[in-house]
Amino acid sequence: MSTDSVMSACGVLTVASPAAMLVALAAPALAMRSLSEHAIMRCVKMGVIVGLCSTLALAALMIVTHSPHVTVDLGKWVDLPEDGFHFTFKLIFDQLSTPFVVLTYLLCGTISAFASSYLHREPGFLRFFVCYALFLLGMVLAVAAGTIESLFTGWELVGLSSALLVGFFHDRADPVRNALRVWIVYRIADAAFLVAEVVLHHLTGAGDFDRMVGFGVWPGGTVDLTPGQALFAGSLLLVAAAGKSALVPFSGWLPRAMEGPTPSSAIFYGALSVHLGAFLLLRVSPVVQASLLLQVIVVTLGITTAIYAALTSRVQSDIKSSLAFASLSQVGIIVAEIGLGFHYLPLVHMIGHACLRTLQLLRAPSLLADYRQLENAFGGRYSQAASWSKLVPESLRGVAYRWAFERGYLDTFLYDWIARPTLKFFRWQQRREDKWTAWLTGTTSNSATTASGGVTDEIA
Amino acid sequence: MATTSTLAPQPAARMGSVDHLLREAIEHAAHLLPSQGPLSVFVHHNTLHAFEHLPFAEAMRQARPLLGCEPYLSEQRYHAELAAGRILLEDIVQVLHEDLGDRADHLVGLLGTRYALRLAMLQTTLESAPPAELRWVLAETDALGKFRSDVSAEQRQRMITATRRWVMRFLQLGVGGAGEGQGTGPVASAARELLRHWSAAELEEWEDSDWEQLTLELLWKLCCAGATLTPPPQAAPTRSERHRELLLAVTGRDSDELVHDLLIRFSAAFLDQGLATWGLEHRDEGFLASFLRLCSTPGLTPTWLRPFKRDARRLRRETVDPLTILQSTLAQLGVEPDAYENYLTATLLALRGWAGMVQQMETNAEWTARPAPAGTLHEFLAVRLLLDRYAIEAIAGDELGDYGDLASLRERLGRRTPRTNGVAAQRGFLLFQLAQALGWTPEDLTRLDPDSWRRLGAELDLFPTLERRRVLHLAYERRYREQALDALAMFTRGGTTLRGADTAPLFQVVCCIDEREESFRRHLEEVEPRCETFGIAGFFGVAMYYRGIDEAFAAPLCPIVVKPAHYVLEQPAPAVVETHQRRSATRKLLGVSARQVHRSSRSLVGGALTALFGLLASAPLVFRILLPHTSAKIRRRFAQVVAPPAHTELTLERVSPDPGPDAEQLGYSVAEMANIVEGSLRNMGLIMNFAPLVLVCGHGSSSLNNPHASAYDCGACGGGRGGPNARAFAEMANDPRVRTILAERGITIPVEVWFIGSLHNTCSDGVEYYDLDRLPEPLRPQLEALRSAVDEARRCNAHERCRRFVSAPLTQTAVEALRHVEARSEDLAQLRPECGHATNALCMVGRRSRTRGLFLDRRTFLTSYDPTTDDEETTILARILGAVIPVCGGINLEYYFSYVDSPTLGCGTKLPHNITSLLGVMNGAASDLRTGLPWQMVEIHEPVRILFVIESTPEKFQRILDRNEALKILVDNQWVQVATLDPHSDRIDLRCGDHFEPYTPPGVALPEAPSSAAWYSGWRDHLRFAKITVPPVAGASE
Repeated sequence: MSTDSVMSACGVLTVASPAAMLVALAAPALAMRSLSEHAIMRCVKMGVIVGLCSTLALAALMIVTHSPHVTVDLGKWVDLPEDGFHFTFKLIFDQLSTPFVVLTYLLCGTISAFASSYLHREPGFLRFFVCYALFLLGMVLAVAAGTIESLFTGWELVGLSSALLVGFFHDRADPVRNALRVWIVYRIADAAFLVAEVVLHHLTGAGDFDRMVGFGVWPGGTVDLTPGQALFAGSLLLVAAAGKSALVPFSGWLPRAMEGPTPSSAIFYGALSVHLGAFLLLRVSPVVQASLLLQVIVVTLGITTAIYAALTSRVQSDIKSSLAFASLSQVGIIVAEIGLGFHYLPLVHMIGHACLRTLQLLRAPSLLADYRQLENAFGGRYSQAASWSKLVPESLRGVAYRWAFERGYLDTFLYDWIARPTLKFFRWQQRREDKWTAWLTGTTSNSATTASGGVTDEIA
Repeated sequence: MATTSTLAPQPAARMGSVDHLLREAIEHAAHLLPSQGPLSVFVHHNTLHAFEHLPFAEAMRQARPLLGCEPYLSEQRYHAELAAGRILLEDIVQVLHEDLGDRADHLVGLLGTRYALRLAMLQTTLESAPPAELRWVLAETDALGKFRSDVSAEQRQRMITATRRWVMRFLQLGVGGAGEGQGTGPVASAARELLRHWSAAELEEWEDSDWEQLTLELLWKLCCAGATLTPPPQAAPTRSERHRELLLAVTGRDSDELVHDLLIRFSAAFLDQGLATWGLEHRDEGFLASFLRLCSTPGLTPTWLRPFKRDARRLRRETVDPLTILQSTLAQLGVEPDAYENYLTATLLALRGWAGMVQQMETNAEWTARPAPAGTLHEFLAVRLLLDRYAIEAIAGDELGDYGDLASLRERLGRRTPRTNGVAAQRGFLLFQLAQALGWTPEDLTRLDPDSWRRLGAELDLFPTLERRRVLHLAYERRYREQALDALAMFTRGGTTLRGADTAPLFQVVCCIDEREESFRRHLEEVEPRCETFGIAGFFGVAMYYRGIDEAFAAPLCPIVVKPAHYVLEQPAPAVVETHQRRSATRKLLGVSARQVHRSSRSLVGGALTALFGLLASAPLVFRILLPHTSAKIRRRFAQVVAPPAHTELTLERVSPDPGPDAEQLGYSVAEMANIVEGSLRNMGLIMNFAPLVLVCGHGSSSLNNPHASAYDCGACGGGRGGPNARAFAEMANDPRVRTILAERGITIPVEVWFIGSLHNTCSDGVEYYDLDRLPEPLRPQLEALRSAVDEARRCNAHERCRRFVSAPLTQTAVEALRHVEARSEDLAQLRPECGHATNALCMVGRRSRTRGLFLDRRTFLTSYDPTTDDEETTILARILGAVIPVCGGINLEYYFSYVDSPTLGCGTKLPHNITSLLGVMNGAASDLRTGLPWQMVEIHEPVRILFVIESTPEKFQRILDRNEALKILVDNQWVQVATLDPHSDRIDLRCGDHFEPYTPPGVALPEAPSSAAWYSGWRDHLRFAKITVPPVAGASE
């Protein structure tokens, strides 16, 4: 067996093991068979260990054989040579994706060990791990994707599992409402992504990254697009990344996503999911760098988000929101770094930040004990007013405080200026339609609404 | 929008009385708020304390609609317990007889007695559903096709046959041929209507299943027809309708959603004890003023709040006081002064966790970093009501185009509220289910005259689900009570356990009364039968403010009702002062820099720097989660380098006359020490026969990543750890001057007796001893014996505890069990470090010799009390009960309510908890503050009211009750159950209502087991009482 085929096998296993895990967990659930916690954990452990080991083996082989770019072709699913269109399922392991896949497995593995005791005896134990498997599969697929279509598939799975885990406690109204909110933002991001995909296909005829975003190995590579084309496609991808990574103006969903169990909050919003947008930008960084204007936009968006989140994080009085915004400020910096043309810096930044934040979020319930310990060590009340704040005039401080307290008015803006008018428009449409239908059928206009009352009277 | 600017003060003459009304209304409403303070100090108390002045059943009746809670388990759950044998039919019969008294034989129409009807209702799970669901059940399930599964086959067959016979006869006589008194009422005509479709010839051909279906359809139609004859059920007592409820019903939009989003964030910021790096600006101006200031600061205001922004500016300018705002807002909302109380109660309870915390921070939190100023609750309510008003106005305008006068909005909404249909159908469905359960045939039903239907309907109304659950709950409690009392009666019969007091025991152990120590004591007694154990409230009478050597603040270590006057400080021994200073400086440096790292990791630049090195965090992350035990060991080793030196001492003896917090005022005078020691020894009945070693054992609990950690600590130490109290008590009792005074008062402690203080960790089952270096040389061998017995008991105790942890295999050995519980206390991911007070159900007040050797399953508080040493006035008992009944009752009731309604009265599952403002937990990022106990803490609890068994006589107990009003309220209103055990015989009297009745046990022999382990092994659920037959040893005495 040649080294190449071993590497391919490892690459396939990397994606296949979470897929197998998902099937193993979800199939019995669909057949209404319940699995014991023990069986679920065995399955999860197996999936993670196989995935992690195969990735590590692949990484080792890549180093040994000096092949920094391994592609695993899973075949063309659609091929229309005369139209110049094909849809390939392909994985790329290079200096960007390999460390990120390792990180994904490492964090997910740790989280699964944590969650196995944390969620012990929780009625939704299996449901949690089904979502978890879905997430792991999506994450690995998105990170290792070699074509924009496969990236989109993974991206969607991550979005789906995130929303399902935010709404994990679906017997209460708030988690469901907030999950829906996350879902809506994700849909907007996905729509932008999809359009970008079509555009890129149109421009280059394929969704393969090695052809689309440059001939060559990441981070090198040049792109075969004019600045204008790059700006258009890149902006769409930026919208997608902004939705996924909660950049301005979509940031409002991030604290709301803290409704799920603590381990899922840690893995999603502290660590992996929130970095996925930045990862996308990093993957297509040749496109970003093909247009100066786009670079400027990316840097501006990154810095804006970073400042916004850093200020907002300071005024949060609950630990999870505070950590969520703190995460976001780093994601902002990472995005800015990408815009500035760095490659390895944002990668290292992302990985380090993900580890740190996961630990902090998992330890969030220790806050009271930590604080007491600090006071004991300090020997008294520990309070530290920010020194710089004294330099700012009071009135400005008030304005800034309210801005941060209201989270930059982003939610207000999105609701009052976008959601509400849209809703009003559709309601108006509905009324028109009712009238129109009524006129056509010759009935009174409110018949539709009272029809449902009839059945009640019947049984009464 | 004409109303927006009419916040003008009202005529002064009327205001006085209205003002008074308003204050009173708020005060009454505030009484209902949860009284849980900051989470770092968790004090157990009755969740429904506000209802204690009412009898338990009545309190539940009132609390349910007011708080929207379920005060009992579900009917399904009780029926499951009935099926599992946890409740016996005998219990239900007995309880129902007692409950009905002489009303049992009341006849209900032609269908039997009230007793029979109720008994049937209690045994059948009667489903009820809103009309839409009912429709679905009828259309999509087999409800009309097959008998309920709980109807016996014989009864089913009997009903089908009877119906068949009747239908055939009915058809033979011809439809409309009114024979046999079948009237012309709606019920009879419903039957005719249904049967019109078939001829007798057709029916001949039918199968059994067709007949079953016809029987059920007939029953259903007849029940529905009959239901129309019954009086409509009395409308549920109308809650004072907030505008929000009506608006929600009409538009589907929740004004609270708008209000809470802002109010939660603001309350959290206002009450924040230091979590946010950038605290609320102008917090010191008070809740209302800082809120108004925040809202009038330039910025983007959501549409619904825009009118408020104008008002906020004006209110701020005019500095209107909160009560005036409340009054005028209530007036604008059209709430009349006589409805203030109901309206404000509902308003305040809508966000009760936060409102309760505001109240606690205002009244009960002077020890925190930032208490709230007086009057904050009024300001909170004013803000809340203002926001309510604008949210209501906005939604009414937005959704309904209703911009009219707010005061009459409720009437307008009332007209739009959809009628509730299908009430008769629901009643019919109830009758339908009962008919199946009781075997009423269609023929029976057609015979009922309208008057009987009416009476039947009224009867059903008298026994709604809450009442049924109340009776079922009484049966549930009765079973455990009977088991407990039977066991006690059998165990004490013949006085076999009363041992002679000839020789002194090997050693004595004094523990807290906590039911978690029951197993520890039992195992100690099994391991070393020559030892003796005692139980006393775990502060051992030493009420003090205590500051440990590595602590910043003095915290009270005594029951919450006691305000200590004394301060005690832990100091380094003179030899290690320098080490101590060096290490505490290092700790300070480490602490502050760790804080800096964490804080800056959340900032912009610092965050970037830490994140770049964040990969380093992966090591502790992976290590601590995958190998919690090992990493804890390593961390401890590192921590030892900077830990305070092991040699410390307490500043126990005071020189200046008055106690206080200053350096020379610390500690106790010798006379005070003597009083404390005397009081505690007399309470326990330990006044002679001292063993050479007396171990005084406080308790506490250690766990990681647990915001509710304090709830596991010692309740008698106000949610602190009782080690220092034990240490102080031992030191006092060892003081020769104290012993001299005691000897004068008749308690002679021999010179060679030595007291040792210690701390039992109820989570890791570790025991830490204090001041062993002071132990007199000759006692060393005894200490070794004591320690090895304690070590063995720790292992056995851990083993017994592990049977309750599903994640601990039932097959593990005692040594493995100890490792398991140690790992639990060090695991970041562990939500159940220990079971806490879960399963508590019983409290014994009496000599240990009456229960020694009885397996009590860690469910029993054990308070030592020797009636033979008490005086005629039962002074000692009165003292003990005055503390024990409220404390144990409070713990028990908190567990009760957190269990029966975890989402409302407890704080739900811990999984989504999020620490807020360093005060409490929310679900997710913005919810009400969650009070009560988390589900993980109570999930194995059995919600029964605690039963106190007191070794005394009914007369003496009654006298104590007559002198203590607080006890009388708890006992007479049946928040706790009481029985007495005669000190000289096995006679037991049970308190029923306001008097005692003799209890006659059935006399079934108690199961026996050679050891505790032999009895509990292999079983995770609750266990019955058993006699542990440890080989008798001469010399064990009390």
